[in-house]
Amino acid sequence: MSFVGVDGLRAVFAILQAAGMLAAAPLLKAVIKKMKARLQNRQGPPLLQVYYDLAKLLHKEPVRSETASWVYVAGPRVYFAAAIAATTLVPVLMATAPLEAAGGILLLVGTLALGRFALATAALDTGSAFGGMGASRDMTIAALAEPALMLGLFTSALAAGSLNLGGLVRSVLHNGVTFHPSDLLAFAGLFIIVIAETGRIPVDNPATHLELTMIHEAMVLEYAGPDLALVEWASAVKELLYLTLLADLFMPTGIGTSTAPGAIAVAFVAWAGKVFLLAVAVTVAESTNAKLRLFRVPELVSISLGLAFLALAIRFL
Amino acid sequence: MFRLLEIGLPVALVLRLTTVAVTLALARHTSWCRRVTLGGSIVASVVTVGVSIRVLASGIAIDGVLLRHVASAMVFGYVITPLSAWFLLVLGLVAVPVAAYSVGYFAHAIAPSRTAGVGIGLNVLLGAIEVVFSASDVIGFLFAWELMTLATAGLVATDHEARTSRRAAFLYLVMSHVGTGCLVVAFLILAAKSGSVSFSVLLAGPIVARPLRDGLFVLFALGFGVKAGMIPLHVWLPEAHPAAPSSISALMSAVLITTGVYGLVRVCAFGLGIPAVSWGFALMALGTLSAILGVLYALTQNDIKRLLAYSTIENAGIIVLGLGAAMTALGYARRDLATVAVVASLAHVLNHAVFKGLLFLGAGSVVMATGTRELERFGGLMRRMPWTGLFFLVGAMAIAGLPLLNGFVSEWLTFQALLLGFTSTSGLLRLNFPLSGALLALTSALAAACFVKAFGISFLALPRSSAATDAHEAPLVMLVPMASLAVLCVVLGFAPGLVLRMLSGVTTSLPGLTTSTNLVSSGLGLASPLPSFDHLVPPIFGVALVGSLMVSAVVAARTGLTIVRRAPTWGCGGELSAQTEYTATAFSKPLMMIFRAVYRPTQEVEALAEVSPYFPHEVRYRAQIEPTFERYVYGPLLRAVLRAADGMKGLQAGSLHAYLAYVLVLGVLLLLWLGGTS
Amino acid sequence: MVTSDLLILCAAGMLVSAYLMVGQKALFTAIRLYSVQSLLLGIVAVTMAVSESRHELFATAAITVILKAIVIPWFLMRVIDRIGIHREIEPFLNVPASLLVCVGLTVVGYRVSTGFPVGARNVSHHLIGVALSMVLIGLFLMVTRKKAITQILALLTVENAVFLVAVGVTTGMPLVVELGIAFDVILAVLVLGILVHRIVDRFESMDVSRLSKLKG
Repeated sequence: MSFVGVDGLRAVFAILQAAGMLAAAPLLKAVIKKMKARLQNRQGPPLLQVYYDLAKLLHKEPVRSETASWVYVAGPRVYFAAAIAATTLVPVLMATAPLEAAGGILLLVGTLALGRFALATAALDTGSAFGGMGASRDMTIAALAEPALMLGLFTSALAAGSLNLGGLVRSVLHNGVTFHPSDLLAFAGLFIIVIAETGRIPVDNPATHLELTMIHEAMVLEYAGPDLALVEWASAVKELLYLTLLADLFMPTGIGTSTAPGAIAVAFVAWAGKVFLLAVAVTVAESTNAKLRLFRVPELVSISLGLAFLALAIRFL
Repeated sequence: MFRLLEIGLPVALVLRLTTVAVTLALARHTSWCRRVTLGGSIVASVVTVGVSIRVLASGIAIDGVLLRHVASAMVFGYVITPLSAWFLLVLGLVAVPVAAYSVGYFAHAIAPSRTAGVGIGLNVLLGAIEVVFSASDVIGFLFAWELMTLATAGLVATDHEARTSRRAAFLYLVMSHVGTGCLVVAFLILAAKSGSVSFSVLLAGPIVARPLRDGLFVLFALGFGVKAGMIPLHVWLPEAHPAAPSSISALMSAVLITTGVYGLVRVCAFGLGIPAVSWGFALMALGTLSAILGVLYALTQNDIKRLLAYSTIENAGIIVLGLGAAMTALGYARRDLATVAVVASLAHVLNHAVFKGLLFLGAGSVVMATGTRELERFGGLMRRMPWTGLFFLVGAMAIAGLPLLNGFVSEWLTFQALLLGFTSTSGLLRLNFPLSGALLALTSALAAACFVKAFGISFLALPRSSAATDAHEAPLVMLVPMASLAVLCVVLGFAPGLVLRMLSGVTTSLPGLTTSTNLVSSGLGLASPLPSFDHLVPPIFGVALVGSLMVSAVVAARTGLTIVRRAPTWGCGGELSAQTEYTATAFSKPLMMIFRAVYRPTQEVEALAEVSPYFPHEVRYRAQIEPTFERYVYGPLLRAVLRAADGMKGLQAGSLHAYLAYVLVLGVLLLLWLGGTS
Repeated sequence: MVTSDLLILCAAGMLVSAYLMVGQKALFTAIRLYSVQSLLLGIVAVTMAVSESRHELFATAAITVILKAIVIPWFLMRVIDRIGIHREIEPFLNVPASLLVCVGLTVVGYRVSTGFPVGARNVSHHLIGVALSMVLIGLFLMVTRKKAITQILALLTVENAVFLVAVGVTTGMPLVVELGIAFDVILAVLVLGILVHRIVDRFESMDVSRLSKLKG
């Protein structure tokens, strides 16, 4: 029984992977928060606090703006749905993405753009200046980050010979992981983009509510209760997704190549370790930098673009 | 039935002529006149679509004769090749909804005395475009091209009381004629070299040698580029498209651009022999430039129709980019790459026509409901015009290149073409491909930002003026065409394999290309020519997305509470009104500051105070972006031309005798030179 | 051979009448010269009709004689009577110099016909030579004369020359075209007649060079 090339087994695989990413994502956020706190000589909240917060929000009464239409309600839901659907396109524990038949890098980037579009449009529906400002700034930074993101992804894809993430990972595993200088440059470029896309310092401060410094938070300022829970959860999933992507592109060793339980266990440990290391990198980047003024973010992004371009040039010329 | 379709094109043209005649007769009875003229247009367009589908399905061209003048033995024939059929299909797919929409739109937006004129102009325009796509010789082509230009100019100047409309029509006429002049010269050179005016001879292959061929390419690119809105020949577009009535603007943006593209494909890419690689790179560069500048200028527009016009320039740039990649590939004799690039370009022609038509129709409804084109006066229209808002949202998402809609499909194909171009060529110039790809990504993201602004400011939050508060939904006759275009956007995005199957007839008929059906995977999806490079099967993803939406609904509804509390938006403790909302100018301000080098904005802030400068009662803010092309390219050009004209004024002595003396001297000189022993 | 002699004689007569039009100043005489010219043209048409049995040329000849030898000169004389001006004023170029220029223009006009190979020369090459010369002389008249009436006459001379070639050299024009040309000529003369009145009203003179005052 197969629908357009996807059979029941793959569908189950997709559901399991999505559920797993959904469950693990808040933990990543918690780990980063804890590490940041420790670096600042604080205790930090307990690791499960993020889950308690989500549960609390889900139980609250939804409060919605009077001026808003259905777009406001649809925004968080589409954002959440896009994040989950995107997780099925990325290989996590096995050298194949559950729905890799659907598309590759381009579809992944497009899906994340869909989520962003929905959230930004919904932010304009509140009628407050915060929503408009957040939407404006977020779309600006996303637009600037896009070429660097594409160039970095293309470099890895062209080197591996496939734009499809499953195919890419398999090709790298087959050829053996090398540390070509272009890989380092591409990694550096993409890391900066990941910081920009997930809204971390130095691009955006996820913990601020001052209007001068908000970007992502301004977009979601108006949401409360389950709507806010969806947004927060989806942001966490996006973050986990990006870090997994980085791990897949540059260090796919340890990914399971068969469905044997041993291989899966090894893959899980490998994945958790890689994501943890990247999370440490993110924490260090956040803690050692100050947030940049909005009009200095293009400079940062152009550095990333330059790195990605250099990676491409070094590899292929 | 199929046999009847063989004469479909002449039938359609005769139908249009009949419609024009009946319209003239019914000119007094406005509502009947409107119905007849638009109904006739729809029937003729349906016939044309039928013919084009027949040609695409069978892959065999249909030819015939339109006019035969017995005394001079001149024959104007037509030939519908699969390429022409594709463009005719695009024309028909947009013309039918536009005409249906106009039945309602003309009733409200056009003065009764002008309805007949506009209806006739529309039919003449559509007929002329049909002949342009199917002409089989130079004279028929140029005649139809000129007729198309004149009909468009007439339609642009519908509202001729307004100075801007007159100026727009004039600018359009001047630039079109300069372009047509280039075309005439180029065609004449070709005809002189080959001794025939029929396209089957002229465009069969390389007739002229290298340096002349490059010159011909430049002339053709100029001539067709004006119509296609390529930078720097685009200055007429943002003036002319907004000035016309909205449904006509939809037609102009969707279809008129494609006449230029058709010319570029038919002549530059496939008509002059194998294109030189430098031509391909030149077109790629121009296309990328058009795309970036188009979207950057679109971002700063506050007039919704001007915004859409600049966005048309952007999409025309993407089409030309794909075409340039195809020409480069043909120059390197890479069949699969050329096929992908041509398919990407042609698919984007279709997709752009559909979603741009939809967006313009939506904008037309909004402008009709509120009476103004300014974005800053809209707002809150989602509550008052829910259906228009929904369809506009579909169009905005399509143009932003979001997955599951048709814009994403043609963008995906273009990226495949660019990446393949990189892997299959060598040398330093191959960096052109990923650079174009990065700029294409930037363009697409900026377009998304632009349409978040266009949709959000127009339809969401509080109304910003009384015009918006009083707006009401458009009538059903205007909603159904928009709905059909929106459905088409979704269908084309979900099942792109269908489009590729239709294009296989086109690609097999063009030299140097191969069939496009090997780009189809799993029936409905797409695959890259290189096996395992990439593929796209939207239905799978569609199911995944729907499933995820259901999950999100479940998660959010877990609370069991179904009552939602409505409260005022948080306004920092103050009251919110339309004036505290984010404005359209404010939304695009960050991008304007970041791309300062392109815009060169100037701004002035003036604080007016009566009593004391610390308590101003009014603050005025004015921001302007510099019209770079108008000031630095066309300004000096105009001044030089006017200077030359002034210089020649001396010849115009005003004396009858002087003029007659010119004739006499010329006659004598000619006789001396040409007469006598030869 | 009588036919060809007659034809050449008539053509020469037409050229001489053109010369005479250049050479004198009385407007009445100029109009009379024009009607003589048209009469000669009619004779050419009749000769061609008889010698080559082309009967439609009889109609052509009739139209020519009636219209151009009788009606138009009468109309022009009426115009002059109404206005009351009978002499041409001093032209841009005096008479002897004008005549010299006319000789030069005749040479240029004959240039085409000298291109014919010697064996093929017959009546046609004379007719072409005469016709081209008359065209150039007519144009020259228009350039150097100031009175509107003379300019009308010059235009009509040019038209006669074209007619000469059409009738004498080619196989004739379709009747429709001839009627069309005749109609054109009538209209041109009528319009010019009206214009002359307007010019005189405005400037109290038929001096066309005063029109340059209208230049913006």
